[in-house]
Amino acid sequence: MDSSRLLRKARKSLPFYLLLGAVMAVLLFPFYWGLVTSLKSDIDIYDFTGNFLIPKRPNLANYDTVFSTPRYFTWFWNTLYVSTVTTTISVAISVMAGFAIARLQFRGAALAGTLIFITYLAPKGFLFVPLAQILNNWGLLGGLPALMLTYPTNLIPFCAWLLSGYFANLPHEPEECAMVDGASRIGAIVRITLPMALPGIITAAIFSFTASWNELLYSIVFVSGEQNKMLTNGVIGAFVGGDWFSWGPLMAASTLSSLPIALLYLLFTDRFVSGITAGSTKG
Amino acid sequence: MDFATRSQPRSLGSTISRLLHKDSSLGYILLSPGFIFLTVMMAYPFFYAVYLSFTDKQIGAPANFTGLLNYTKLLSTTLFSKTVLNSVIYTTFALILKFCGGLALGVMLNRQFIGQRVVRALLLLPWIMPTVFSTMIWSWIFHPTFSIINDILVTKTGLLSEPVPFLLDETWAMASLIFINVWRGVPFFGITFLAAIQSVSPEIIEASKIDGASPWGSFWRITFPMILPVVVIVMLISTIGTLGDFDLPFLLTRGGPNNATTLFALTAYTLSLQSGMIGLGAAVTMTMFPVLVVLVIVSLISVRRQQQQD
Repeated sequence: MDSSRLLRKARKSLPFYLLLGAVMAVLLFPFYWGLVTSLKSDIDIYDFTGNFLIPKRPNLANYDTVFSTPRYFTWFWNTLYVSTVTTTISVAISVMAGFAIARLQFRGAALAGTLIFITYLAPKGFLFVPLAQILNNWGLLGGLPALMLTYPTNLIPFCAWLLSGYFANLPHEPEECAMVDGASRIGAIVRITLPMALPGIITAAIFSFTASWNELLYSIVFVSGEQNKMLTNGVIGAFVGGDWFSWGPLMAASTLSSLPIALLYLLFTDRFVSGITAGSTKG
Repeated sequence: MDFATRSQPRSLGSTISRLLHKDSSLGYILLSPGFIFLTVMMAYPFFYAVYLSFTDKQIGAPANFTGLLNYTKLLSTTLFSKTVLNSVIYTTFALILKFCGGLALGVMLNRQFIGQRVVRALLLLPWIMPTVFSTMIWSWIFHPTFSIINDILVTKTGLLSEPVPFLLDETWAMASLIFINVWRGVPFFGITFLAAIQSVSPEIIEASKIDGASPWGSFWRITFPMILPVVVIVMLISTIGTLGDFDLPFLLTRGGPNNATTLFALTAYTLSLQSGMIGLGAAVTMTMFPVLVVLVIVSLISVRRQQQQD
């Protein structure tokens, strides 16, 4: 390509790249600022003179503080444990429900689909008051099982809705062929249809896991005691007081605690994107 | 195998395998775990909340039926009227900005450019990363005395003579809350709108261009009406989520200053779990219900309409 044409093209798209750069800067700056602050020493945190975008004396003291917080690893483990259990429960129940709604003909299938959609729309801030009372009546308020029981209330509707859309778009013939060849109905579903739906199932699992990891309201309201906290309320409780914040350790803990989700996103970017678009348009 | 089981219809095994084979029975079997779970953990709590809202239930005390007392009490408190007003302002502005920003982003990204994949992946980070931790970073950015934005605006560039009281002033606190909600939601809107825009067939847009329509004109007359169903559904789902938001006001402002940023969920939390008035807190969440019903019905209609289109 001759250089004058290339130059003209570059000049034409320059405003686009400038705008794109500005948008990305606003969207990503907080993560950078959190990371930079976490690497600064106590004095440098409040010192914006000179080049404040790069720590003057980068050090890991704030991460040390986080790791020496007695319960940090307990919270990390609790979060991992609760997120894994709730994801397993939610995805298992949602695969069954989503399959039934999308592929089986029985009275009430359409109604079930509508009801799932309605529960999907219920915001989390809507039912936590009665749920706290009910868990209290059952003697479950305070411990981790309280979270394993309540997190799926928000996850199952979303996953079932996502998966029913996914199952509806899969062909019926492979399953029927397997049954002609002598497989039972369940055998055909498990061995033929579920593997075909695997991308959808992975998407549902990733979304459930991320949502459980990020959850705040239920973990504040339904569990008590330092040993039962999740990362979210644990970190806030440790580094945020009534009117004080220890910014350095807080930024370090925020960075560390977000890392697993960032890693998951890095590995499954395409699944996240397809989940987002499927979740809003169904199928 | 099927043959063998059918030849002995009385055995339990054959009954089970028949139940697992027929659409009707299998449908109910597969649906029952989800149905039972959501009935116990959502339908029952809902009716329990309705009941609680008609009682004077407090933590550690028995509930007495008090009729509509909680609701009349709410109507006479400024905390509740502020909650309603704040929720309306927060939801309206956040939704308008997310709509405009998302549409602009979707249109902007609907072209070939260098680094396309990386940009799209990075773009979603505000939406993916845990809200709790990103909001903690924002509260550091909006710090009363050590805000980096104020340092840039006042000390470094001299654009402003006074620092902006981000979380100290009632109006600024609400604006900051809305800003963070939009920051987090715009990537989601943008990516969804982009996917919808890309599903519009390029031939139709080409045809309109040949007919002499400007890019602007063909977007509003052709592309936008075609992506409208997706836009409406995303907006409705986001409206409900924004209205029921707890994390953001709890983390950023604790509802302050002077209750200027408290929303339904936070007010319910403050009343029921911090002050112990469970009945009154339940009544606060129940006042969301009529609005939710309307939004859910509209959502159902628009989803159905879109499915019929497909």
